[in-house]
Amino acid sequence: MDRVECQWCRAQNEPGRTSCLTCGAPLDVKNLVSDSGWLEAPRLRDMSEFRFANSTCQIEGEIVPVAELALAAGDSVFFEHHVMLWKEPNVPVSALSTGGGLKRMLGGMPHIVTVAHGPGRVALSRDATGEVVVLPLHPSMEIDVREHAFLAATHTLTYSFVRLGIANVLHGGGGMYMDRFVTQSWPGLLLLHGYGNVFQKTLQPGEKIQVEPGGFLYKDSSVTMNPVKLNVKTGLLGRSMYLAEMTGPGRVGIQSMYVHHGSD
Amino acid sequence: MSTPGAPAYTCPYCRMGSEGASHTCPYCGAPVDVSLRVTHSGWLEQPPIRDMARIRFGHSTCQISGAYVPVAEMDLRGEDWVYFSHHSLLHTDTKVSLANLPLKGGWKRMRAGLPLMMMWAKGPGHIAFSADAPGETLAVPLAPGRAIDVVEHSFLVATGNVEYQWENANVWFTTRDGDETEWHFPVGQTMDRFTAAGSNGLLLLHAPGNTFIRDLRPDQRILVQPGALVWKDQSVAMFLHFEYPGGAYWYSSARWQAKTTWLALQGPGRVAVKSVYERPEHTGYVYQHSGATQMSWNSGPSQGFGSPWGGQVARGFIAGGLGGILGSAISSMFDDN
Repeated sequence: MDRVECQWCRAQNEPGRTSCLTCGAPLDVKNLVSDSGWLEAPRLRDMSEFRFANSTCQIEGEIVPVAELALAAGDSVFFEHHVMLWKEPNVPVSALSTGGGLKRMLGGMPHIVTVAHGPGRVALSRDATGEVVVLPLHPSMEIDVREHAFLAATHTLTYSFVRLGIANVLHGGGGMYMDRFVTQSWPGLLLLHGYGNVFQKTLQPGEKIQVEPGGFLYKDSSVTMNPVKLNVKTGLLGRSMYLAEMTGPGRVGIQSMYVHHGSD
Repeated sequence: MSTPGAPAYTCPYCRMGSEGASHTCPYCGAPVDVSLRVTHSGWLEQPPIRDMARIRFGHSTCQISGAYVPVAEMDLRGEDWVYFSHHSLLHTDTKVSLANLPLKGGWKRMRAGLPLMMMWAKGPGHIAFSADAPGETLAVPLAPGRAIDVVEHSFLVATGNVEYQWENANVWFTTRDGDETEWHFPVGQTMDRFTAAGSNGLLLLHAPGNTFIRDLRPDQRILVQPGALVWKDQSVAMFLHFEYPGGAYWYSSARWQAKTTWLALQGPGRVAVKSVYERPEHTGYVYQHSGATQMSWNSGPSQGFGSPWGGQVARGFIAGGLGGILGSAISSMFDDN
């Protein structure tokens, strides 16, 4: 029998499965794509489960979802310590320095992330209504994520950060850094928390789209991001408005709930 | 048997007529194939617009996507244009033209925390909007000449043929903190008024939580939390209502803090409320106020307290005289148009 391809992560699944074994996306519902080509991130069903390495992840709840990870021996995940909702007492945790300590600290970013090691269970959640976005990454992939959006990543991912250019820092509204996750020879799994609803668009080479910088969630590192000044003013003092112009090729993810930058 | 020329389907939510051939109302996006949910008291629950439902306006369409914080994506065509606050812009095609739409009364709007300028967008192309809180997108189609009043910070986007003006809400009261007079505006200092001119217009609002609609008969009155109002027909009157609970409590600030400050809405017309609203603040001793009614569940002044307006507390006491005069004076003081 034909295997079923997941429309979100492209993994092959056995016939009869109702959710993807690799990312948890429902397999029995149609993709929701807007007229302009934005694909709605799959709404993970309550209690849906998927695998990574020898471990599993179960998504619980729908309004502020929780990702409960059952870590197998030898597997580990890292995350910002304040997203940890609960853990079993026997799950060892360690600290991992991200480098760039003082600069990261000044930028309000974690300079140390927490690593939980299997075996055992740990559950993670962020603090607002939204969706868990599951991004399985093949070897040799790079993905950039806005600050404070990542929920957890497997130990097979290399975590670094990209300091944004001065124009992006001053006008982009996305902070000073973007988190960068890179896979080497092994696949990995990245869990993000998108505020509100999450949409993804795949840009062709040279294709451009302008997004509110606060709405930016993630992008393939092949997508370039530059602030563009609009010919409009947003206040009495003549404050200009900037949008983030994304240029393909690659995927761009946005979230529908955000704090507008530079509001008057 | 239907009358020739009459619409086959009238949407119970927006009351626009259509053929009823699709699963959603083409004017407001409400599902056609669901049964009405009406509470025993008469509130009609506004159903969420289905994911990817389309709404028609002019030569263009608006598609609503997402469930928690919905996105309104417009496909602008022809001469159609829309205006919005820059806060709500999520993404746009590079070919969509964007420009400023200045508003009158900038100083007053700035003090009220409202956007000083609107932006307008003209196609062809796609442009999308979203709000900053979980809730529902409300599509309110306006037939020519229809006007509704909308509370501050609810507006998402409107089509170019909808006229926008804003007026003093004229619902206020003052309290004292030492020598300081504190002003309170339970529904905001201003209300946005949207009127369709010439042809059908479309107004999109965002309401946190769930939304409920109710028709008020002439002179029918309902009390709502001031922060819960989303919109009302222009014909619906609104004023304050202070309610003092019954029971024995001695003269202290508890007397004043126990009071509930309501927004009274009086028909005829439609009103819409949302289920998520700001927690009401303790109002303390009210010194002055706009037109208001008052209710005490104790039986008069023998309980040891009197009216903050110098009179005795009486059931259904109308205390709008002085407040109304002061309200008008203060409103005109604020009006810098």
